[in-house]
Amino acid sequence: MRDLFETGSVIRAANLKKKYKGFALSIPDLQIPKGFATALIGENGAGKTTLLNILTGIRLDFKGEVAYFDKQEKLSAKGVQEKIGYTGPGSYFLPQWTARQVADMSRLLFENFHEDRFWKICDELNIPVEATKNIKKLSDGNRMKLMLALVLARDTEFLILDEPASPLDPLMRDKLCDMLRDYLEDGDGGKSVFFSTHNISDMENVTDYCIIMEHGSIVEAGFVDELKEKYILVKGEAADADTAGQYLFSISKGSYGFEGICLAENLDKLAGMDIVRETPTLYQISVAVMKANTKLKLAY
Amino acid sequence: MKLLQNSGVPIYQQISDQLKADILAGKLKEGDYLPSIRGLAKDLKISVITTMKAYEQLEAEGLVTAAPGKGFYVNAQDSEMLREQHLRRVEEALLEAIHAADIAGMTDAELQSTLQTLLGMRA
Repeated sequence: MRDLFETGSVIRAANLKKKYKGFALSIPDLQIPKGFATALIGENGAGKTTLLNILTGIRLDFKGEVAYFDKQEKLSAKGVQEKIGYTGPGSYFLPQWTARQVADMSRLLFENFHEDRFWKICDELNIPVEATKNIKKLSDGNRMKLMLALVLARDTEFLILDEPASPLDPLMRDKLCDMLRDYLEDGDGGKSVFFSTHNISDMENVTDYCIIMEHGSIVEAGFVDELKEKYILVKGEAADADTAGQYLFSISKGSYGFEGICLAENLDKLAGMDIVRETPTLYQISVAVMKANTKLKLAY
Repeated sequence: MKLLQNSGVPIYQQISDQLKADILAGKLKEGDYLPSIRGLAKDLKISVITTMKAYEQLEAEGLVTAAPGKGFYVNAQDSEMLREQHLRRVEEALLEAIHAADIAGMTDAELQSTLQTLLGMRA
């Protein structure tokens, strides 16, 4: 497979296919850059979790190939799973376990689990770890923090996180970004993160590369700075709204003007109009791309 | 380093401008290494790709050189090139003034006399 990234890829997948009733995942080519944080963005039901479950080996009934790390090994190859940390939207703990038992289990499962680091992170994140407190009594946020503490207590090279920010409060999301940056800095180019999220704004300042999915396919992918050159936020006068609308994604019109996202290559089509341009946020780009592909009935 | 989120100037540009100012002012000297890309990203709470882009811009402008596996170090500064960069900034600022004058409906003569007046007020 052609190399997409100078730094190499942590995952290369080809011809991924998975069908359910009314849904088909189809990804001919997927590469995730090594040494960066990559966000997976998309509507509910776009196939994000299905993709992550395929990459983590939770789902094995799919067609296609996935290769991991520099040597492009299979997930089943020796040591590959040991190098990957995963947190999911549900909980992979038994409800009656306590933090103590979670730690005992991790020590048995993973050679690279550092128990002292685990307790240190639990303390840092203020996770209730008393012997009486079992997993089912934890809030969703604390359960997510516990999963994060577990994966960060291991020496891994790649984190796959399914919706890590969703159950977390704003302060903890900020902390999550810090922890991911620490992880990337510690790896100095050797460690990578792949996470799905709906909380694009909260996670933007840790996102390097971004993949947007709709209906089981990848509809956009790129480094955030490149996407911010490809898409331009345009604002103009109401009189031009209809003409401009033909070239804009996700236009919103009002009596005083319009605003929308335009492909940089289409900007010359707006020549002669009184418009201003702005660099869009990743959130604005994502919403525009999703709107262009959605089956949601949106009123314009 | 101070970064503004909503100034309209891209974050990578703000970083490279401030590092450039440090280099031109001699705070970063020839041979000094810039902070590591991921270290700076962590300190400034921004993404790795943003710092990388800032460093690549400094490299493209010839201010720093990338040493594979070691990071970016500051080049010897060429005074001719520095002058060139300052000249470019002057041109950009003047172009902006011309644009504003067009909108205001000023004639070229009026614009020139405004410039003369301002030059005259300079201490």
